[in-house]
Amino acid sequence: MKALRFRRPPAPPPLLCRWDLDKTYLRSEFDTLAQLWRTAWETGADKVEVPGVVDVIKGLKATADRRGRAVQMQFISASPPQIGKAIRDKLALDGIPYDGIAFKDQLQHLRRGNLRKLREHTGFKLTELLRGRAAAPADARELLFGDDWESDPLIYSVYADMVAGRLGGALLERVLARIGVDAASVPGIVAEAARVAGPARVDRIFINLERRSPTGVFRLYGPRVVPSFNYFQTAIVLASDGWLDPEDLLRVAGALACGAGFTPRRLENSLADLVRRGHVTPETGDRLARPLRKAGLLPPGPHGPADWFRRRLAALRRRRPPLASEEALDYTAILERLPARRATPEAKAT
Amino acid sequence: MPTIAVDAMGGDQGPDEVVKGVAQVSLETEIESLLVGDEARIQAVLERVPYNPEHIAILHCRDAIGMAETPRDAVKKKDASLLVGVRAVADGRAAAMVSAGNTGACVLACAQHFALLPGIKRAALASVYPRQTEYDGQDALALLLDVGATVRCEAPELVQFALMGSAYARRISKLPSPRVGLLNMGSEEGKGGDVLAEAHRRLRALPGIEFVGNVEGNDLVRGKADVIVCEGLLGNVALKLLEGVAEVLADVTRSAADSRVTWRLGLRLLSGGIDRLQALTDYRQYGGAPILGFRQLFLKCHGRSSSSAIANAVKVAAKAVRDRVPSEIADAVAALR
Repeated sequence: MKALRFRRPPAPPPLLCRWDLDKTYLRSEFDTLAQLWRTAWETGADKVEVPGVVDVIKGLKATADRRGRAVQMQFISASPPQIGKAIRDKLALDGIPYDGIAFKDQLQHLRRGNLRKLREHTGFKLTELLRGRAAAPADARELLFGDDWESDPLIYSVYADMVAGRLGGALLERVLARIGVDAASVPGIVAEAARVAGPARVDRIFINLERRSPTGVFRLYGPRVVPSFNYFQTAIVLASDGWLDPEDLLRVAGALACGAGFTPRRLENSLADLVRRGHVTPETGDRLARPLRKAGLLPPGPHGPADWFRRRLAALRRRRPPLASEEALDYTAILERLPARRATPEAKAT
Repeated sequence: MPTIAVDAMGGDQGPDEVVKGVAQVSLETEIESLLVGDEARIQAVLERVPYNPEHIAILHCRDAIGMAETPRDAVKKKDASLLVGVRAVADGRAAAMVSAGNTGACVLACAQHFALLPGIKRAALASVYPRQTEYDGQDALALLLDVGATVRCEAPELVQFALMGSAYARRISKLPSPRVGLLNMGSEEGKGGDVLAEAHRRLRALPGIEFVGNVEGNDLVRGKADVIVCEGLLGNVALKLLEGVAEVLADVTRSAADSRVTWRLGLRLLSGGIDRLQALTDYRQYGGAPILGFRQLFLKCHGRSSSSAIANAVKVAAKAVRDRVPSEIADAVAALR
């Protein structure tokens, strides 16, 4: 008789999380020169994180660990490496596990007299994203986290479509030129994109609505981009996708309730907003809300057959068609909506 | 922070301006707004403007009441945003209601679903309007009540209106002792018939309010009184007259500018002053007018309210809840008994 052999199920594909730092992880204030100056001299202890972000990162790690999934946390910042110590101190203080931080070496550009590159963050970010992708396992899935302060939704979407092999060639070159990527960096980015292109791997792009941008402007980016007003909303979508376990969602909600004054009503309104915007189905919203209600983090739910019937009706009403297909985005429409840029010297020459 | 129910579908410009007003409040304050109306239409507006979802809830309903509908027929629409919102306040889901919808339907809906305060015989619809001030610290806005909720009144009801208006002005305008006047056709106390003469006698003898006697039509726009009391028919005529004069003035100014170049030049020179005058007489600045006498609060906004008027009304409603205006009125009426 053949001996019974237990085969371990294959490990789930690794998860690669890429985080922007300012306005996404940190509550950076640099709208004025004075604030910029102050930020440059801040220590790790002075820096303040966006409420709930620490628990989201820890939750992602904990959920992945429970499932035997390898996970990498990487930060990309357009700030100079000179503030690296303060950032590393802050991450250590928060107990954040991370695998790398990429800074933009502004001093090097200054030394070389490349002043244009000082202001150009798009090419830097795309290059770093592609570099991280090339170093990661081929089957790694990705979650990207940014904010609405600069052009994260667009940069991340371009990156996601590049690595999925949906955006390349002349269209990619046109997009890169239009979003202000330094002309000298374009060939390198296009070549690297072609090298890493494979099956779709960016699952979600989360945009922290630090500036409270109208959510409608993100519709063009499709369902992959989730604009969220707080990290509870981010956590809800992560939990509905299975990247966060219910206990970790509970922890995020608890942290916001204890540390940022979120009342059960505020949390409930945030959840309802996500459902209305179509990022979570009413059924999933109900399912995820149950343990939160039990823990007193959401108001007590409605009871009885009449309320059940009302909820079902609401669910039917909210059932809307998918936000967009999984095909490449309409970059022509997206570029048309971008504010006009000053023409680059190369563009002027042509 | 209190929850304020807002009739999203009410008014000439609902839901667009109403939702935009609520979105503005959500960014500026911690007030929770409960938008009542068609969820899909409300959400469509929200997605076009900045807002904070933590402070906005939506209560879906299918129906809405038109501005031209007769109040009696309108309140039969049980799933209309106004009725659903008023019931939400009556049930305790929200602390007050704001609507720019059909005035008659608003008053009738309150009468059907809200409870009168102990001792109050009739509710009053008040109106806030700009006027000249006479002393430092006087509010630039006066309160006129009733402007249509109770068409004909008896003297005890006018006395209660005085108590209600005085309590509201104490809390909202922060006037420690608002001046109360009785709208009449002459300043002498015997003028205006038996009801007004009796009301004058009772008000003069009433402790706790500063009664300044009868006020005439021309006193409405001066600072003689902060709270002007009258029956609904008279109040409504006076209010519409004030609004009509302000509109005619604006029209005349506009047509003058079109008529002659020299007049246009003159108006251009006066433009700063005219802008200030327009700002003073612009109903959109003043939010809403309260319906007083119920345990619950209701603020009625002008039908043409812009988003900033709605935002102001929501803030005033929250202030009235925080400052416990109904309790203040109840205490004043209890003291009278």
